[in-house]
Amino acid sequence: MSTVFSEEQRDCLQELINVAMGLASDKLARFLNTFVHLQVPAIELVSSAQIPAQFEARYSNTEAALVSQGFLGNDGLRGEAIVLYQLDNAHRIAALLGYDTDSASELEMLTDISSILTTTFLNGLADQIDNALSYSAPRVLSSRQTNVSQALQETAFHWELALKVDISYQLIDHSFNCDMLLLIPGEAVSNIQHILDRILEEY
Amino acid sequence: MSEDWLTGPVLEQLNSGVLVVDEHLQLVYLNSFLQRHSSVQLSEVKGKSLFQVFTDVPEAWLRRKFASVLELQSPSFSSWEQRQYIIKLPHLRPVTSSSQYMAQNCTMLPLKDPAGRRYVCLLIEDATDAFVYQQHLQTTLEKLELSNRIDGLTQALNRRYWEEQLKLEVQRSQRYQQPLSLLLFDLDKFKQLNDQYGHLGGDSVLIELTARVRALLRDTDWFGRYGGEEFGVVLTNTALAGAIEVAERICLAVNSTAVTFHEQSIATSVSIGVAQLDAEGDRAHEVLIGQADIALYNAKREGRNRVVSFSEGETEFLLKAN
Repeated sequence: MSTVFSEEQRDCLQELINVAMGLASDKLARFLNTFVHLQVPAIELVSSAQIPAQFEARYSNTEAALVSQGFLGNDGLRGEAIVLYQLDNAHRIAALLGYDTDSASELEMLTDISSILTTTFLNGLADQIDNALSYSAPRVLSSRQTNVSQALQETAFHWELALKVDISYQLIDHSFNCDMLLLIPGEAVSNIQHILDRILEEY
Repeated sequence: MSEDWLTGPVLEQLNSGVLVVDEHLQLVYLNSFLQRHSSVQLSEVKGKSLFQVFTDVPEAWLRRKFASVLELQSPSFSSWEQRQYIIKLPHLRPVTSSSQYMAQNCTMLPLKDPAGRRYVCLLIEDATDAFVYQQHLQTTLEKLELSNRIDGLTQALNRRYWEEQLKLEVQRSQRYQQPLSLLLFDLDKFKQLNDQYGHLGGDSVLIELTARVRALLRDTDWFGRYGGEEFGVVLTNTALAGAIEVAERICLAVNSTAVTFHEQSIATSVSIGVAQLDAEGDRAHEVLIGQADIALYNAKREGRNRVVSFSEGETEFLLKAN
């Protein structure tokens, strides 16, 4: 099974992701009543074994959180979306979403934020390829006390390919960065390739 | 679709709650599961505000959740681990579960009718089983953690845990500049006692000794079994004079009354070494143990059943004499 994408497939995927990001930022802006600027996300396809090392440096000396959410669509599209961020960033967006830390626990806040980021983005992606996704409830894999790269290693182990999407949200008064990882199992990778090929044929 | 007839009965028989509200959060639908559990009839509440019907839901929180579902047209979730329930409902295991209300995993989904009107569907799954198992696990872990700290025979702290606490108390004492003292004591002639009364006799003396010592200590002191018949007490916020007083009381409590074992009276005594924390740095706790140990050694040399405190001069003298 080949997990290598052709150049056309990569370009096509990047384009889909750009549009999905645009849709997501539009929705978020309306929801938050503020201007949201999303940079064109840098995407990178890596074997999932390489993932923990890539994030080790960025998240090792800081309080970071890692939240996972499974997604499942038609045509064998499935995987696990992981949002990684530094916790002080999370508090910034929490304030924006109208959370006061008394009424919601930190874990609840984390899963909510991640779920919003993940589902708005992935729904945008699914819309473009005439697909529809359902989601599992978000789950905190690690926060504060546990080691991020270790938690990642345990998760990434089950997946063949990881699509790494660097996301940087900038709001008028705030900015924050997070990383989204789409971990995709082998057979779903070829399903994605089929989907991309189909789109490429149509144009 | 010819299978349309299915949806109704399945929805009604589903073992999960299904609730639908419109954009204004007014009730549109409740399935049987929810109607039965909450003793509410759909016909009576249709069109009413969700918060008017279910008065104890966390309103501000739920409004925010529903707003995000409607606005972003993407699902939102709530787990029993973070919020045990959204709507207070009884569960079907009133006997076997310790919790009063159904633990719930909830999903909030965006819906649109053919005319394009927007709704939110709230799915409520019963997670009481998971909740109960989690609680069992928690109690088991707590027991395990306790047994990890405790010496099985005497119920005093075990050496590893006791030493950890000593280390922490030494750091605390250094940071807050409060006095800290250590007692190390040893049952006198324990080998002889074991030979005479057997190991069960020896064990029962250790158990009784531990109980008597514990009765003399404060909640903030750390009492552990250091070795076979050797014990340690970390006395927080206590200077040498106070520590000597505690040690004298321990000596007396052990020696004044014999231990009864199989209708035999076993007379015992302890020798106690006392030291107050003086050293600085990372290894201060080791120095302190060393000093209390020297004092204990001297108490033995001076004839047992007594308290000796560590002081530089005296120790050197006795060590030289040795």
